Amino acid sequence: MALEINIDGKSSNVELLGKEENKYQVSIDGKIYNVDVAMVEKGVYSVLYKNKSFNVELVRGKEPKTYIINTLYNSYDISILDAEAKYLRSRKDDDMDDDDAISSPMPGKVVKILVKTGDKVKAGDTVIIISAMKMESEYKVKRDRVIKNVMVKEGDIIDGNQPLIIVE
Amino acid sequence: MIKKVLVANRGEIAVRVMRTCREMGITSVAVFSDADRNSMHVRYADEAYHIGPSPSNESYLVIDKIIKTAKKSKADAIHPGYGFLSENAVFSDRCKKEGIIFIGPSSHSISTMGDKITARRTITKAGVPVVPGTTDPLTSDEDALKVIKKIGLPVMIKASAGGGGKGIRLVKKEEDIIPSLRAAKSEAKAAFSNDEVYVEKYIQSPHHIEFQILADRHGNVIHLFERECSVQRRHQKVIEETPSPLMNPEIRAEMGKHAVAVAKAADYEGAGTIEFIVDDNLNYYFLEMNTRLQVEHPITERVVGIDLVKEQINIANGLKLSYKQEELSQNGHAIECRIYAEDPDKNFIPSPGIIQHISEPLGFGVRHDGYVYEGYEIPMFYDPLISKLIVWGKTRQEAIDRMKRALFTYKITGIKTTIKFLERIMNTPDFINGNYNTHFIEKNHAFLQDVDKCDGDCKAMAIIAAFIDHTNRIAGAQSTGTSGSDGSNWKSCGRRKSMIRL
Repeated sequence: MALEINIDGKSSNVELLGKEENKYQVSIDGKIYNVDVAMVEKGVYSVLYKNKSFNVELVRGKEPKTYIINTLYNSYDISILDAEAKYLRSRKDDDMDDDDAISSPMPGKVVKILVKTGDKVKAGDTVIIISAMKMESEYKVKRDRVIKNVMVKEGDIIDGNQPLIIVE
Repeated sequence: MIKKVLVANRGEIAVRVMRTCREMGITSVAVFSDADRNSMHVRYADEAYHIGPSPSNESYLVIDKIIKTAKKSKADAIHPGYGFLSENAVFSDRCKKEGIIFIGPSSHSISTMGDKITARRTITKAGVPVVPGTTDPLTSDEDALKVIKKIGLPVMIKASAGGGGKGIRLVKKEEDIIPSLRAAKSEAKAAFSNDEVYVEKYIQSPHHIEFQILADRHGNVIHLFERECSVQRRHQKVIEETPSPLMNPEIRAEMGKHAVAVAKAADYEGAGTIEFIVDDNLNYYFLEMNTRLQVEHPITERVVGIDLVKEQINIANGLKLSYKQEELSQNGHAIECRIYAEDPDKNFIPSPGIIQHISEPLGFGVRHDGYVYEGYEIPMFYDPLISKLIVWGKTRQEAIDRMKRALFTYKITGIKTTIKFLERIMNTPDFINGNYNTHFIEKNHAFLQDVDKCDGDCKAMAIIAAFIDHTNRIAGAQSTGTSGSDGSNWKSCGRRKSMIRL
């Protein structure tokens, strides 16, 4: 079985060539790896490759079939691009440009909203301030924009990646 | 004698205080907000009371609620931990009025040390060196120019009621004096509704070194040596160690004496910390006094061998100190790393969330003061501190090696933490050589961010793990609900189990 896997924005073709117990032979873009893989704890895989021991932590992302993967010193964003994922992605691209929604990468509380629907803002203007864990972060627009919709109000508790302000 | 203590705090410090209560046979009472029902301190305590909504200004900071709960639970004492109400003179006073023992100093000591100008005056009178500057607020522009000329540039202009970096300006050039003064004043006015500012000489290569003290009600004061806290990011301490690599026995004895003098000048009672700013030539100046237990107190406990919370409770009971100065010594070396729920790859943005998995380091010389567990959701309302990792070694080098080992085995998944950033610090030559000041993180920025250690293989292993996890998940989804091909659920269960190796 073969899959396309995207790591930090770059796609690779990954294919399972053979499997016996927890010994796997996997090809990544034609390079063959013989590995011994065991899920040792929930979300933690022990991978032995050329007798080197790797601990790989998998955290499932917000979107289906996405992972944040941590090795000892590195952290990667990974998504599995099967037929379904590719289809959904192509549809999403048509729907909305990611840049059209201002969101915060972490959950928090809305401290202040500095704009209202219809406002014209300039590149670099702060539109919303979010507080999480005693730290306030300001979110700015990258280009000159018009505020299309404000989805939250001051004092609201918000999720990470939730659209807060729609701009155009 | 105190029989029941209400801990007016949460997180790791609440658990840490309750541990000592348990050892002393004292009943512990937890208070919790909406967000903290599942928090460890609620589970650890003998009793727990709900005190309101999640934001701390509606729960942990509301004096009336804490007092009411203390009365309801019949607690005879309140331990404030650090942060929240720990340095609130009104709260200390209120406890006294209500007949509840406040495990900490009197409101008089708190306010003397809390206002920076009053503190400066008190300290100067006690003969302790302070950073050259004014003890009086600057009144006019002319006054400021005159005073600053006398001290010599560079200087810091600071708000009397200041804290958290607000109302502070560094002035290097003469033409910047007046604009900086005005900016500091207006910022101070906005932040603390008090625009009093004063001026201090700016120390070029500053080390932040603090002394732990203990004082009883009978006039006995001892110091428990220093803690080196110069590894800081945005004025927040990241790593602390004791003894300080900068220190020598003569200066240590001298600073210790001055720390004791400060405590005496403030009529202090309980555990406290005297912070000094020290330059490369070991000139030291009083900075401020923290009238509470510090986050980093465990390194002192480890090296001196004294449980500071136990001493706090004994002092609050009116007992005399159990130790004399000459009985104390520093044994070996201790280092503390603070583990924060922050993403070091994304400029340390907070990372609240659910802990998927945690494995804590164990073994000789390791202490772990934390409060999170598997499945616990770190709330977004409070401080991002997850835990403190404290190691001890016979020598500084051994302590560094042990810290590296402990950080290597410390795994938290589900949220981002600063663990790997701390590992990088342990490998930074300036830290290893003990040659650092408060500019350490800034100075070593490039080294600390450069973490690409095994990109090729690690990337491949990450891809393989994702691939296998994904295919197993699909296989798992397809087989659920159906019995094994030979009709035995036991066999299929066993097969699945060995496949995913649960």
